[in-house]
Amino acid sequence: MRRTAAVWAGKATGALSRLSGLGGGTTLPGDVARAIDPTILRKLTGDLTEGSILITGTNGKTTTARLLTSIFEGMGKRVVSNRAGANLIFGATAAALRSAGPDGKLRADWGVFEIDEASLPRAVEEIQPRIAIVLNLFRDQLDRYGELEKIAKTIEAALESIPEGAQAVLNADDPRVGEIGLGLGRTPLWFGIEDPVVAMRKLPHAADARTCPKCGASLRFSAVYLGHDGIYECPNGDFARPSPGVAATDIALQGFDSVGMNIGETRVELPVGGLYNAYNAVAAFAAGTVLGVDGQYMAERMHGFTAAFGRQEKMDFRGRRLVLVLSKNPAGFNETLRTAVDMAGATHFILGLNDRKADGTDVSWIWDVDFEQLAGRAQVVVPAGKRAHDLAVRLKYAGVEARPPQTEPGRALDDLISVTPEGATAHILCTYTAMLDIRAELVRRGWAKPYWET
Amino acid sequence: MTKKKNRFTVGWLYPDLMNIYGDRGNILTLLKRAEWRGLDARAIDLGRGAAHGMEDVDVFFFGGGQDREQALVYDDLIEIKQEPLEAAVANGSVVLAVCGGYQLLGHYYQTAEGERFPGIGLIDVRTEAGKKRFIGDVVVDTTLEDLKPTTLVGFENHSGRTFLGAGARALGRVRVGSGNNGGDGTEGCVQGGVVGTYLHGSLLPKNPHLADYLIRRALSRRGMAELAPLDDSIELAAHAKILERAQPRAGER
Repeated sequence: MRRTAAVWAGKATGALSRLSGLGGGTTLPGDVARAIDPTILRKLTGDLTEGSILITGTNGKTTTARLLTSIFEGMGKRVVSNRAGANLIFGATAAALRSAGPDGKLRADWGVFEIDEASLPRAVEEIQPRIAIVLNLFRDQLDRYGELEKIAKTIEAALESIPEGAQAVLNADDPRVGEIGLGLGRTPLWFGIEDPVVAMRKLPHAADARTCPKCGASLRFSAVYLGHDGIYECPNGDFARPSPGVAATDIALQGFDSVGMNIGETRVELPVGGLYNAYNAVAAFAAGTVLGVDGQYMAERMHGFTAAFGRQEKMDFRGRRLVLVLSKNPAGFNETLRTAVDMAGATHFILGLNDRKADGTDVSWIWDVDFEQLAGRAQVVVPAGKRAHDLAVRLKYAGVEARPPQTEPGRALDDLISVTPEGATAHILCTYTAMLDIRAELVRRGWAKPYWET
Repeated sequence: MTKKKNRFTVGWLYPDLMNIYGDRGNILTLLKRAEWRGLDARAIDLGRGAAHGMEDVDVFFFGGGQDREQALVYDDLIEIKQEPLEAAVANGSVVLAVCGGYQLLGHYYQTAEGERFPGIGLIDVRTEAGKKRFIGDVVVDTTLEDLKPTTLVGFENHSGRTFLGAGARALGRVRVGSGNNGGDGTEGCVQGGVVGTYLHGSLLPKNPHLADYLIRRALSRRGMAELAPLDDSIELAAHAKILERAQPRAGER
């Protein structure tokens, strides 16, 4: 009874929120329903015929969730998923509500939920997942989460409490995730990348977890793929990267157009680019492997994949091409810059920085991003967002000549268009809400679809 | 000889472990601003085990770290760095210490349980653990001589409460934010050539006048007192934006 009331109240809130143009109703219905019945998520996910997968980590949650959703949907399964980055417990609840029937019962087979690192213990307790995936742990939003170490401990405790028979699927290449997995009471399935060709030799400045958990010595890396993810070992032999059971090899990077890789016997071609998407693909593939899904079938689904809003979203406007790339922390930003400059030959940019809660109110982290990559290569850089002035200073000290800072998204777009020739491509690299602001302006001008439709 | 005179050296203490809040911004600002004055600027990494070249350092930088990392540098600081650091400071070298680095340069850090971890006592301050974390924008009216503008802006994120002894004076008084301890209105400390503070953001990029103060003070020991003026309009525009947006937080004086 209470459950039915909670479902109805939540669903009504979602409809109102979309109608009133306030947004996609991606979390508020969850708030409302949980106020009426705090156990509503536990009840609803209990109705799933197959079970749930939880995905956490600093970067890649949305894309990995979308890959798994696409794999299940291709099998004719009904999937509940918290899209649009609504990854707190309220967002997961709202997603479950949308698929609930008038009787308050959830009619779906799989739940695929991306979960904010700090919300993982609660999500594990309420959702009782069959698989929990940890993608990586990079420094992100220190003002909100506290230090990386605290998050790592939170994730560790959550993984200890996943149901018996559930499988942890962990990134072997991330030293802090490796430490968590090696200390677990059960054996994780490790995934990773094994391809020296795409590796860097040296850790970038933004790397965090670099010391041995046992003796404190600085870890030795023989390959660095992204941030501090790579092939590492303690010089005293106290700690080393676990050998991945599911690995991506022979990686082919094609800018923001695609990334190809071999996973075991299967060739996977993903139509979004960057090494970070190879990690998302191999993580999803590993989860599928746990469930016995055919590799060739997964490769087919991945080949037809479309990106979520603002994640390498491509659109045309007045004869120019725009590529929107979410870039929300040092590890992520370094990778999107590297992909843009080195592989996509990008020359025209808007860089957007906001400091709302979802972006992190402390913008110090931009000093950990290697914007120096743009020096002498970018022709046009427009600093944008609420903290455009901070970006302008950062770019000056990186030796990058930038346009004047623009705090209004419309002005940033106008300035970009005025200096981008027809037929050229411009890249928009933004933090989360800065991307929402730019996208809202693109929607207003009729160049993009609203985000809850993507 | 002239080559050495023209050199400007920044010594970065534990760059791999004590760099949590975008501290590289402080290093880049010192280096670039020296370079733009025609100096041959370089940074040397003073990681664990390293003490070579500390006597040549003009400005030391000591940033903040996580508890795990802070514990890893603790022994090295006392065993390897303390002596040459004291000698360099006595010789006129300048130090900027932020957050965790600031705390470690004081007399001690006292945990909530009352356990005391001695620092190296380079500055007359002591720190005690606090419950509530101070997080947010900070605006400081500084009393540091000849600084124009007279404000410093930054972002704080700390739970330690730092109190100044008679040997140290405050870097300034907080207009917005909590500062040293959230009680006495002070922020940071100045003692001779050592500046300690809780401000990051990074601190120096949006406070170019403080960066120049540190550079000038370090060079003056070598008889180079003048710094050519630079165009700081981009830096000061970012500084002004913080002044404009920073509002006293709920529950503050």
